[in-house]
Amino acid sequence: MSNTLPASNTVNITMIEITKTQKSRSLILAGITSLLLSACGDSNTKSEELPVIAEPEPTPIVNSINNNAGGPDQSQGDCDAVTEGVNWNALMTETCRNLSDYNLFEDNMNPTENPTNGGVAFNLAVPLFTDYASKYRFAFIPEGKQINYSEDEVLDFPVGTVLVKTFTMPANTADRDGEELIIETRLLIHRESGWVARPYYWADTTDAKIAITGKTIEGMTTTHKGELKTFSYSVPKASACTSCHSVVPLIQGADDMRQPIFKPIGPKARNLNIDHVYKDNTANQLQYLSDNQVLIGLPADLSTIDKYSQFSDDDNLETLPHEQVMDTARAYLDINCAHCHRSELTIPEENYAGPAGGSGLQMEYNRDYAENPQRFGTCKIAVAGGHEDYPADVIPGSPESSYLLFRMNTNIQRHRMPELGRSTIHQEGVALINYWIKHLPQADCSKP
Amino acid sequence: MISNGIIGKQHWKKSLILSAILATLSLSGCGGDDGVNGTNGIDGIQGATGTDGVDGDDGTSATTDPAMITSSGFAFPADAIFVQPHAIDGDDITDELVLALFEVPAGSTIVMPQGNFIVSETIAIAAADNITLTGYGINETTLDFTNSTGDDGIRFEGGVGLSIRDFTVLEANKNGIKVVSANGVYIAYTGTVWNGPLEEDNGAYGLYPLQSQNILIEHNYAYGSADAGVYVGQSNNIVIRDNVAKNNVAGIEIENSTMADVYDNVAIGNTGGILAFDLPGLIQAYGGNIRIFNNEVIANNAENVGSGAVGIVPPGTGALIFSVSDVEIYNNNFTNNETSSIEVASYFLANDDVNAYPTTYGATMANGWSPLTKNIYIHDNNISRSGANPRGDLITDIVAGYTLMLGQTMPAILYGGIGESLANSGFIGGFNAIVGADAAADGVNYNPYTTKDLVCASGNIDSNSAASALEFADVNIGVVFTTDPTTPVLESDTVQANTRLLNCTQPRLAPAVVTFRGKKYGCNGDDVATLACAL
Repeated sequence: MSNTLPASNTVNITMIEITKTQKSRSLILAGITSLLLSACGDSNTKSEELPVIAEPEPTPIVNSINNNAGGPDQSQGDCDAVTEGVNWNALMTETCRNLSDYNLFEDNMNPTENPTNGGVAFNLAVPLFTDYASKYRFAFIPEGKQINYSEDEVLDFPVGTVLVKTFTMPANTADRDGEELIIETRLLIHRESGWVARPYYWADTTDAKIAITGKTIEGMTTTHKGELKTFSYSVPKASACTSCHSVVPLIQGADDMRQPIFKPIGPKARNLNIDHVYKDNTANQLQYLSDNQVLIGLPADLSTIDKYSQFSDDDNLETLPHEQVMDTARAYLDINCAHCHRSELTIPEENYAGPAGGSGLQMEYNRDYAENPQRFGTCKIAVAGGHEDYPADVIPGSPESSYLLFRMNTNIQRHRMPELGRSTIHQEGVALINYWIKHLPQADCSKP
Repeated sequence: MISNGIIGKQHWKKSLILSAILATLSLSGCGGDDGVNGTNGIDGIQGATGTDGVDGDDGTSATTDPAMITSSGFAFPADAIFVQPHAIDGDDITDELVLALFEVPAGSTIVMPQGNFIVSETIAIAAADNITLTGYGINETTLDFTNSTGDDGIRFEGGVGLSIRDFTVLEANKNGIKVVSANGVYIAYTGTVWNGPLEEDNGAYGLYPLQSQNILIEHNYAYGSADAGVYVGQSNNIVIRDNVAKNNVAGIEIENSTMADVYDNVAIGNTGGILAFDLPGLIQAYGGNIRIFNNEVIANNAENVGSGAVGIVPPGTGALIFSVSDVEIYNNNFTNNETSSIEVASYFLANDDVNAYPTTYGATMANGWSPLTKNIYIHDNNISRSGANPRGDLITDIVAGYTLMLGQTMPAILYGGIGESLANSGFIGGFNAIVGADAAADGVNYNPYTTKDLVCASGNIDSNSAASALEFADVNIGVVFTTDPTTPVLESDTVQANTRLLNCTQPRLAPAVVTFRGKKYGCNGDDVATLACAL
């Protein structure tokens, strides 16, 4: 261990220098490209112009994500088309029967690594809990398209983007690189008309098939901290995706006919603001996207961006700094609850809320707790349902009497939260929120 | 470890075909407004809801083919999508239903088969556009969610012009039919049922539109909810008529909603028959302009097995008006409600820590929520046999005050007026500083009550009120008030008399109007000539 330390340090330093050089260059390029793009849109000519103008630039294009990856060309897709890269057109218009029809991975039997050109892997600092499953995430961005940075919301992915998430169940959660069962691969596809969700289920190891109606898998098992857990794993129906993945209009009058808007949840800047091990180097994920000209608008100083502390099931809450645990709890509530339990704040569309904003419980990471603790459930009586043993959602100092914690800690459908994607109790998440409630400032409903 | 296949192979082929058809339809139907307006489905709805019956005023001739019409007389359009038409009792139709409703094209009518079927998951329908989800009738099509792994039975998220009709949802784990953030919600001839005794683990809400607009709920049956059988929350422009709510904790509940008419319903055997609430902390901070009239409110004496907000309702409550203003309750029949026929109370009854309100509720008070209840007009109700066995944790002291200390019958109309006492004494005038500009402009304040703020009762009829006849010749009215708002725990006094109390009138409230698929419903719509609307 001590022998290898100096060597790896050297490597790191070198890489940082490379990264810096790349960054300044790519920033300029990104600026030029965005100008070109907007000009193209106005004159109604398509991207054929791009390479022509870019060609005089003598420096090689610094883009290892989607250079030459192609993209959708507005023509009708074909699930049977044999494409060298991603089958973009099929993604844009078709619901293909087989996951492999989209040609998203170099090895179509392995959706956990080696995306086809255009795809880049990413992780989330704090993921949504799904029955201790492992998740492999990739973003596919068409060539020449860029993600616009957003401070508080999900990054603004261009039309043509496909977010791909594969769920696997490790035999043992202590060894997530070891034996695992590939269960499902979910696609979020940004089409011209908005985002759509397409779930694929791996009934066998050769390919995944479209599963509009979802799938319940009885007898799923994993060993977690030495305990064998057996449960029924639920692959959600395609229509269930909107239950979490949308914001709904706060209807402003009898003539307001606005509809919900489908959105991704996880890839917000604050949740991507961590290092990732890429093929050639380790880098901050946001910086990497920016350096590869795929993300534009990233603040030069990464330290100005909100950042979740990473949360692991192996963390010992008692030994971590108090402030970090409290902050991680907020991150956990943000990713596990606030996709539904949110309202307005930084939602870019005016008068929209999460599907459960109406409950009065709103737990976004960027919401100020002190400004209105009741938004976080503090001393708030459950509007719908409730349980006689738990008089308020959150009773600071008394997690054992808080309805919110009870709902995280039960599998009774009537009370279970989150509503979808959880058949087991996330004991570490429960412990984290238990800590948070216990240490919140005393409130009127707290026990004296 | 994994059972084979997504769904059985045969299913698989069928569903592929179906989804292919649906996909094609949805693509070609993108701009298809014509499809919406021109289909018979809409005419059929209008016909069925009209007072003239099936044919309505649109002249759609009723089909005689029983495969093409519901028991309520709704005739399916020719392009209706039939889900598993040959399914037999006990079949699980979840997958087929999910496929038929997935990204369903605008204007579609989806027909669920006749019989009793198992549904094993929540049916979620997002952003639907003028679709009709129908069975063959409230007794003809039943979806049994007993073994569902989901929470709600059916859930609509967003949507415009949603018609839900002619089936029953049985034993949902959580809510029966939930609709959130929709404009245009029509629920008719539909049941939500939790069978057996009323128990706390029965489901929550039966019919449950939330944060929606233009809601018409009629001819439905809600039984056995551990919360509210028919509930409308944070919504506006609402008509609830001709429903039966039986054996729920709350029969019919209007919460943080404005412009609501509740008439011609039967609320029987619930803990509380008809409720109007404003609860703190919600996005739509407060409601108002709620009219409750010409309902039968009978024997709402079930023990309260509810939790959360509804858990406070005293068993034996006919109607409870709680922390909401601008409500008119008239020409209802209240019979055999064992605590009180009509209860009106400020939120101070539930939380009397007056000094804590600015910290506990400050943000929602800024948005206009108020613990006070103002401008309540109770008139021309017919009240029989009220107060035979008064009880309820919320009002234990009040019940004791009347029955034990004063030795009287519990009042048939009970006003928990501590909030008014506090306002009139000037003790909570400081709360005005919390009220935001919009709410203040809308009249929310903590000033002493003026004439237009009063709770009034007039012209109510004591109809064979045997229990009270000994003491009062007229409907007995009770008022709870406080003479010393400075006590930390509010000391309350009670008084009871007949028409001497609350003796005033208020201006009549405006009718609610629901606009659904271009047609107006309610007392200024299709019911303009009915008896109830003339009251």
